[in-house]
Amino acid sequence: MSTQASQLLSTPLHQKHIDLGGKIVPFAGWSMPVDYGSILNEAKAVRNDAGVFDVSHMARFVFRGADIAEKLDHALGGCITDQPIGMARYTMLLQDDAGILDDLLTYRIADDEFMLVVNAANRERDWELLTERLSGIECSDLTEDGGGILALQGPESLSVMRKLSGDANFAPDFLALGEIETEFGTLFFARTGYTGEHGYELFPSAEQIVPLWTALMSLDVAPVGLGSRDILRLEAALPLYGHEIHEKITPFDAKLRFGVRGWKTRDFVGGDALRALPETAVHLIGLSCEKRIPREGYNVMCNGEVVGTICSGAMSVVLGHPIATAYVPKNIDGDFSIDFRGKPLAANCVALPFVPHRSRD
Amino acid sequence: MRPNDRSYLDSHEWAKLDGNIVTVGISDFAVEQLGELVYLDLPDTGSTFSEGEAFGEVESVKAVSDLNCPVAGEVVEVNSDLCDNLENLQNNPFEGGWLLKVKIDGNSLGDMLDLAAYEALVSSQS
Repeated sequence: MSTQASQLLSTPLHQKHIDLGGKIVPFAGWSMPVDYGSILNEAKAVRNDAGVFDVSHMARFVFRGADIAEKLDHALGGCITDQPIGMARYTMLLQDDAGILDDLLTYRIADDEFMLVVNAANRERDWELLTERLSGIECSDLTEDGGGILALQGPESLSVMRKLSGDANFAPDFLALGEIETEFGTLFFARTGYTGEHGYELFPSAEQIVPLWTALMSLDVAPVGLGSRDILRLEAALPLYGHEIHEKITPFDAKLRFGVRGWKTRDFVGGDALRALPETAVHLIGLSCEKRIPREGYNVMCNGEVVGTICSGAMSVVLGHPIATAYVPKNIDGDFSIDFRGKPLAANCVALPFVPHRSRD
Repeated sequence: MRPNDRSYLDSHEWAKLDGNIVTVGISDFAVEQLGELVYLDLPDTGSTFSEGEAFGEVESVKAVSDLNCPVAGEVVEVNSDLCDNLENLQNNPFEGGWLLKVKIDGNSLGDMLDLAAYEALVSSQS
């Protein structure tokens, strides 16, 4: 790891993570904390209280221009022209055949200005495609500007935001963007997240990020690593690029129709292919099992026959047993099992999400 | 402190020789790298393994890993209580967290790392 470390990017909070005992691993070209001692306890902290993830590795792109909404509407799968100023939306970047290249959030900052946050692993490819699809638009990649993204998530995150802002009436709508006044200046936030909990994503500047982290620690917010983030997003059945979504999967396969709103009539990259698609033959199912954690790529069987492979698996802290996702043909029924390295063990097909969302609460 | 009375594999198993019986376990470094343990699979008494063969699996929240037998021989005792008391392995991998006792031909271990060589390996991996 040490020989690679010099080539990896690190977030402005790298030293803070080390000081807190964070176990640092390479992730999508960055040195990131996978945990601070207990993946399971950190996930529980987010479900029961409040936790904060440093997700400054995620790429932040800003686009400005007079007809930016129309151009983004064409470049992305989702409807952007009717996105209200001051709101965030979930959508996807599609290829011509409607395969999913990435998923992302669009934040409409002004009539003629959007921020997009995309997966770190896809930063370069997304940037190339977007700047090509958005020709004539002012494009900036702010990922390495010294600022970052902190995801503050959990039922107590509202009270933390009230303490940070000193505003006892602070109560933004789900997906709203805004600014709070703090002791380290005006802080931009969105009421978004990737855990299924009530939460916020904070966008501190280079000057704000360390004092913001320190302030969150002093408010007893638990530092949470990427290991827990994966458990939480899987419990909430939120897709992860490279697992539930990728180039061979369409938004319909992944049950992400809400991410391509207006697909029947809009003109966008992948739109023609989406309209021409036959009825999807597979669907994403949830699986639950005992003790052993299904890992990506394990075979899933129904009545002893292989019907699919595991996309993601994790130990659910809410349910107390392992959970997993897999694509299998529609309309199959029977006894499911998972091949754990040569040993088939029974699994149950369960409804998604595994844990109900509370993000709108 | 890692014990000096046994030998180590570069895959982080340890072996402690007593006559022709070898006690086998995994090191504190292995346990720390795995993180929170969820599952342990051990063989039955009477099973035989060749040197380097996988005899079981250990699984954590993060990863699953084969357990490699440092010696060739027959399993004469299994710490089977450990499978339901993974905290013993997590907290005490060199004593209460032992995994197997293997009867070997002869009375010496094969080519394994001594403590100093193992510590050097661990420091290069941490």
